[in-house]
Parts: sequence; structure tokens; C-alpha cells
Amino acid sequence: MTIFQSRFRLAAVLLALPFAFSACKDDKDPVPAEDNEQITTVIYLLTPTTGSGAPVTVTWRDVDGTGGNAPVIGTLNLLPNTTYTGDITLFDETKSPAENITEEVEEESDEHLFIYQGTPASLLSITRTDRDAKNLEIGLATRVVTTAAGTGTLKITLRHQPGSKDGSATPGDTDVEVTFPVTVR
Amino acid sequence: MLVLLGVLTLPVRAQEAPASVECTLALAGRVADHESGTVLPGATARLLETGEVIAADVYGNYHFHVCAGTYTVEVSFVGFRTETMAVRVTSSVVRNFQLHPDAVQLQGAVVRGQALPAPATQATTALTGAALAATRGQTLGEALLKVSGVSAIQTGPNVFKPMIHGLHSNRVALLNNGVRQEGQQWGQDHGPEIDPFVASQLTVVKGAAGVRYGADAIGGVVLVQPAALPDSAGTTGEVHAVGASNNGLGALSATVQGAPAQLPGLAWRAQGTVRRAGLSATPDYRISSSALAEYNYSAAVGWRRERWGVEAFVSQYNARLGLYPVPENWNVTARNGGVPPLPATFTYALDRPYQQIQHTLFKLSSFYRLNGWGGRLALTLAQQADRRGEYDKFRPRNDNVARRNLPELDYRNETSTADLRWEPHAHGNFSGELGLSGTYQHNTYRPGSRYFIPYYTNLSGGAYGLGRWQPGPWLLEAGLRLDRRTLETRRPTRVSGAFAVITENFAFTTPALSTGVARELGPHVTLRADASLLQRAPAANERASQGVHNGIYEEGYDITRPAGTPGLGPETARSVAFSASWHDHPRLNGELTLYQTHLQNYIFQTPIPPVLDIRGLFPSYRFQQTDARFRGLDLLVAYRVARPLTLGLKAATVVERDLRLDDYLILAPADRLEGWLRYEADGQPTAARRLHGFYAQLGAQAVRRQTRVPRDNAERDYLAPPPGYWLLGAEIGGTLRLGPRTPLKISLTGTNLLDTVYRDYLNRYRYFLDEVGRNVTLRLRVPLAFGTPKN
Repeated sequence: MTIFQSRFRLAAVLLALPFAFSACKDDKDPVPAEDNEQITTVIYLLTPTTGSGAPVTVTWRDVDGTGGNAPVIGTLNLLPNTTYTGDITLFDETKSPAENITEEVEEESDEHLFIYQGTPASLLSITRTDRDAKNLEIGLATRVVTTAAGTGTLKITLRHQPGSKDGSATPGDTDVEVTFPVTVR
Repeated sequence: MLVLLGVLTLPVRAQEAPASVECTLALAGRVADHESGTVLPGATARLLETGEVIAADVYGNYHFHVCAGTYTVEVSFVGFRTETMAVRVTSSVVRNFQLHPDAVQLQGAVVRGQALPAPATQATTALTGAALAATRGQTLGEALLKVSGVSAIQTGPNVFKPMIHGLHSNRVALLNNGVRQEGQQWGQDHGPEIDPFVASQLTVVKGAAGVRYGADAIGGVVLVQPAALPDSAGTTGEVHAVGASNNGLGALSATVQGAPAQLPGLAWRAQGTVRRAGLSATPDYRISSSALAEYNYSAAVGWRRERWGVEAFVSQYNARLGLYPVPENWNVTARNGGVPPLPATFTYALDRPYQQIQHTLFKLSSFYRLNGWGGRLALTLAQQADRRGEYDKFRPRNDNVARRNLPELDYRNETSTADLRWEPHAHGNFSGELGLSGTYQHNTYRPGSRYFIPYYTNLSGGAYGLGRWQPGPWLLEAGLRLDRRTLETRRPTRVSGAFAVITENFAFTTPALSTGVARELGPHVTLRADASLLQRAPAANERASQGVHNGIYEEGYDITRPAGTPGLGPETARSVAFSASWHDHPRLNGELTLYQTHLQNYIFQTPIPPVLDIRGLFPSYRFQQTDARFRGLDLLVAYRVARPLTLGLKAATVVERDLRLDDYLILAPADRLEGWLRYEADGQPTAARRLHGFYAQLGAQAVRRQTRVPRDNAERDYLAPPPGYWLLGAEIGGTLRLGPRTPLKISLTGTNLLDTVYRDYLNRYRYFLDEVGRNVTLRLRVPLAFGTPKN
């Protein structure tokens, strides 16, 4: 019996061994993701070049990322029969201070393409007015022309097309795809 | 191999007997071919408890001298399936064995004398011999599909996650060489990180087996069992080669093992596998980015004496699995008439997106035989490290970050486990075992990588006891287990935009109870029934996972639960199962299993309305809790129509109900039916014949459309369940004698021979991908013998 008991004690010690090892594990907390993939905010600024309207901005914002609280999406209110200059800005507001992602897109403009799509198509006429080194459109700068009053949506897509940009939307992946309600009146 | 068997003459030792006691009880019997009745001289009989091995004499008789006690006799012979039998010896006893040719796929409960025997009162299916050989080159999850009642959650053509009786992930315990696999098995797109070439037997315990294997084993257990280390002197080996037509798969696995004659007691084994495949093809197109590359190895060394033994085992699994790039907005386009496949041409090249997985296991096991009634004490210590990198299709926008080519999701998991088992010596009709187990698990992700699973520390300890009583032809078993689990999770949050870490602590004490009964009705029929109550504490992913993973947004229950409502509680499973098996019969063999599992607070993943993200709408899943009831049936029947012809049938169905909503549960496996006709040539392996053991099989597999879906399935699921389908398959094979001692086992298997276009309900890519088309696989197996003494 004593042999058994001592064996048992030995076994108990061995059994506890993994816990002894684990006791010295580091106890660190998670840290913020370092990737600057995160885009939380899209701001589209429209400045009228005709008529007497004031500049308009519309914002799409989701500071807590995918899931959690729903994104806050503004409505674009435009005047009919007006031409605007469009200027898009992207931010990562999880960083402090907020990081301006637009600059990065600008630096790698030969890999990026913005696509502006109004629904119905007659609501807005949008033209990209800037070009990259290969003379392909980028879409950071735009011209927006409205005609008749109406309501609809504007979808803005940013395609990331490293090494494959050909002026069309097809290559690459989507970095941003946001949709704003639009009212022209 | 035959030559080898003849020279197995290890010294015959008395079993665990103090020198003073004479052990003279005879344990003997005759070994014969079940089909022809001819005796099998030279068959190997082994007493697993003592390791004693003898060869049957010219009349097929084997003979041991033992003390009173319970023994497991294992009888093997080349070309036949190894059989084991537990024998209680109180006086001299005769047990005859009738071995089945290796190619026959059916069997009763095969219980191997490994460290963790499967419970005798539950439906158990083992894949071994020819049945296992026919799966070589496949992943573990795919190989297990051979077992009725087992299905798989697929992610494209390369990832198969086993599902037993409709339950999966955290509810199926995988034991890799006696150690619970602890990796990233919670994810539905995470296949088991195990190389099936390690195993000489895959055993599936269908149904709740939580007392013995830990509270998580509500659905069942998969045992990946390597053969015991060799106990005869000499060096032997085996080479498997597999080639497949569909994806250009090539797999090569080699095992070398030996026991030096100078050092009795020492034995070793080394094994390595290389597996590569290019793009899989559906009948109409290649599946983009579906290549894979896998490199695995394992090694074991053991030292075994009469009363004690130690064994060290190390294995590493390395895989890079291509994943089909999940199409953007497929959740919208799938409903509007289908997503066109990406163009692809055949290649072995592996580029994003892919998973890079490494799993390392180090195990130290030992046993010690105590004096007198003390029985046997076994201790297993194991350390596992699991790393999984998930490389998104899309590279970081920042070129500097992109150049580092890091995975977007990079999980790391380390687990230490310890298990102590004590099996006191059987006392009359009574036997049993007591066990203690402990787990320490630490889960993190690479600092700076994307969050999906929290950092967590999981500490659990359990104690269990199992008792068995065997009056006459009855076997009664009862067990009790208690687990304590503490879980600390740390997860980042930025609800307000600012980064913060939430630390949460959970602790649960979960009991488990089981009772089972088995009754032998003559030599050919066994009835089994069991009932159990198990409780499982929620895992970290079920609570607090959150993020986009493989193109799908998933979140744990606790993430968005309304403030003030309780978090996830443990789920309680009450299961009953009944099975009848007909076995070792010359004509009719089979097994029928009926089961019901009631899961209170069942935790499951369900699709929710797509979550809007800056990159668009994501198909989304969330963990929910409800009360559920699973009822099902598995059937396996094989009938030998005439001497060389066998007709087989396999069927499985399960009905999953959500009791709170009085509705069906989503994503339940569809009904399956499989039938086959098999021709097996007669004849013993003789030196004169160049080809023996020839067989040919033609089979069809039919899967019904899943119609048992929730009432609101049209809104919940992104696509209705795909139509039913049926597939034609065929296999031929045999053993070709290349030299006097070199039998080459060769087989050719064709699956989906009609190149049917189909999709399976349980494939997570069914929304945009067809299943693979016709595939023809060639499998070769050659045994190696290095300097084996000749007869």
C-alpha cells in the first residue's frame, strides 16, 4: 500500500506538471490591429460651381468596425440643374488622431479606382476628373451634374487593383462599398 | 510479411504475477478463416495486457498460460482483418477466432487494446484494413464519411469537418493517438489538423461519450489510432502512394519501424507524408485557388518492460490549403440567379487566399502495473501547439505591409494536457477505471493581426469513474464525471471608437452521467443501449468571436446580446441510443442505431440578416441558444448473395428540431443512402499465384434534398437547399506479388463516374461552387522488410 500511495503521489505531481509550466505564461492583452486596412469613414464633399447653393457634405461612418453598432449614414441633398465638384476623403477614425487614408490612395493612385453609380441612372451624372501616371482615371476628384428633381441612391465603390488596373471596375478587390440615399430638389 | 509472422517468438512471460504464483490457466483456441472454415496456421495471437505473442501451430491453435483475470486477445493474419476479443479467465478457457478476409468491410464492435478502448455499450465503427486503405490520400474528415451516421461540413473541396449524428465542432472529440486534439477546431472551415496516414485504425464512437472522453464529446468521438509499436525484432516498413486524376493529387507516405534485437523492450517508428494537389475540377470548370500542399511527420519511441512502459510521440502537421476566393456580394447575387465561377486553369501554384496550418503534438505516455489488485496505472502528458494563418485574397493596401505577406488572421493556441487513468484489476465480474484529467489552454493571435477570437485562458480539470459488471452474457456499465472549467477571455472593443480591452471570467462545473448495457445474443448478435446526461460549458468562440472570417461575418452570442440579459449558459444533453449489430456471420452482417439527443440550451450558429460594413453587405452568422432535439437512425447491412458477391446498404437520417420555436433547425445533414455490390475472388494467398485478393465493387450514393428547414428559411438562408443527387462509384483492387516477400496492394477507385453536377447542403461554398467531378484514384501499398530473417 505504501508503494501504491507513493506512486499515487508521484502521479499527482506529474499530473500537475503542465500547470507548473503554464504558470509562467505571459499575461499580455490584445493590442490594436496594426493593419491600416481599416477605413471607418467616407466623406463626400460637393461644392457647386453653378447656381448659388452652399457646399454639401455627406458622411458614412462606422467607428466600431464590422458588426456591433450599425453605421451612421448621411443623406445627400442636392439642388436640381446644378454642377458640383466632388471631393472624396477616407479616414480611419480608430486611430488617434484619425488617419487620412485618402493620402495613401493618392500615393498609390495607379492601383485604385473609384466607381460612382447613381440609381436611377438619370438622377446624377458623375465624371471622374483626375488621372494617374498611366492616364487612367482615379476618381478622387469628380464632377457631379444634376438635372430634374428626384430621389434615389449613390453607391461609391473603391476598387484596389494592384498591378491590374485597366480603367475598368473588374480587376482587384473592394476596399470600400458604401451607399447613400440621395435627394435632388 | 508471412515470413515475419513465423518468427514472432518473444519470450513467454507469466502475466503480472508475483514470482510465487503459478499462472497455469490455459487461454487457447483455434484461428480459422471465417469464409472457408480452413484453419490459419501461423496466425499471430497477442495478449495485449502482457504483450505476449505466439504464432498458431499447424492446426491453427494458439495457447497461452495466464493467471486469472481479464485479457484482450488480438489475432492477426496477413490478408485478414485483425480481431480482438476480451476474455475473462477464471478457469481454463477456449476462445476460437474466425478471421474475415481483409476486404470485407463489415464488422461488429472492434475494440482495440489501445490506451483508450472504445466504450462497449455504444455504437462504434472502426475503419481499418481495406476500408481504411480505400481512403488513403483523403483528409481525415473525408475518410470518415465512410462511416454511416458521419457527415461533414465542407468548405470547398479540401476542408472537411466531421459531423456525427448532426453534431460537430466543439461537440466531437478527436483523439489523436490518445490525446485530445486541441487546435482551432471550433471554426466550421477548420478541418482537423491530423494526418490520417498516422493511423492504422480510425474508430468513430457515435453518440455521447462524455464520461470517458470529456464533457465536449456530446456528438461522438473520433479515435485516430496508430498501430502499437512493434514487439518483434527487426525493421519493417510500409509505403503508400496515391495519385488522383481530378486535381492531380499525389500523396506519398512512408513508415519505418523497428525493434532492435539487442535491446528487447525498445521499439520505434518514424513516419512521413507528403501530399500535393492542384486545382480541383467540377464537371464544368476548375475551382480557382483549390490547390494544397501538406507535409507531415511523426515519430515514436517506446520502452516496454514487463510491468511498466514509456512512450514518447511527436507529430507535426503542416498544411497550406487553398481556399476559393469568396465572391463579393454573393449573398445578393446567389439569390438572383447564381454567381459565375472565377476562371482558372490547372496549376499546383498556391496563392492567396489560403490557410497555413501547423499543428505540433508532443506526447509522453507511460503505464505501470501495480501489485495484487492494484491493476494498471497510465499517465499521459501532452503538449500541443496550433498555429493557423488565414491569408485573405486581398492584400493590404499599404505596399510596405503587403510586402511582409502576413496572414490577416493569425491564431495561436497552446495546450497542455495531463491524464491519469487507473484500472484496478478486475474482481470477479466487476471491473472499472478511474481517471483524472487536466487541461491548460492559452489562445492568442499575433499582435497586430485582425481580431476574431479573444485571447483566452482555459483551465479545466475533471475526474471520472466507470464501473462495469459482466454477469453472463450481459455487460452493464455506469459512469460519472465532474468537470470544472474556468475561462478568462480578453477581447478588444471599440464601440466608441477608442480601443479598449474587455476581460471576462467564467466558471462552470459540469456533471456527466452515463449508463449502458450490452447483451450478446449468441455469437452473431449484440444489442447495446445507453443513456447519458452531459453538460458542456460554452467555449470562447461561442461567446466572443467577432469579425470577418473567410468572407463571412461571424459573431459570438455575448457580443451583441442585449444589456442585462444573461450570457451563454452551459448546454445540457440527454441522450439515449439503441443499437443492434449482426456480426461475424457468413451471410448477413450489419448494424442499426437509433438515437435521440435532447439538448437544453443548444448553442448553434445560424445565418442572420447581412451585416453592413464599409465594404458592403456581408453574409453573417451568429451563435444562438435554444432547446433542440435530434432524432436519427443509421443503418448498415451487408448480405452475401453468393460466395463471391456481397450486396451492401448504408443509410443515415437525422431530424433536428428547435423545440422553442417548434420548427426545424437550419443546416442539418440531408438523408443519405448508399448501396453497393462487391465481388471478392476466393482463394488463399499462395506463393504460386501472382494476383490474389482480387475484388471489384460498384456502388451508388444518393442524397436527398434537405426539406427539413426552418419555416423562414427563404429569409434566413442565402439560398434554398440544393436538389438531391446521386453519384456512381466503382473500385477494383487486389494484391500483386512482386517478389517472394513483396505483396503490392493496388486499387483503382472512381468517384462521381458520371461527372454529375451537384451541390451539397453542408458545403459552405454551395452558394457559388459546384462539387468536384469525376475522380479516379490509384492507390499502392508496399510493405518493406529490412534484413528480416528468412524462414
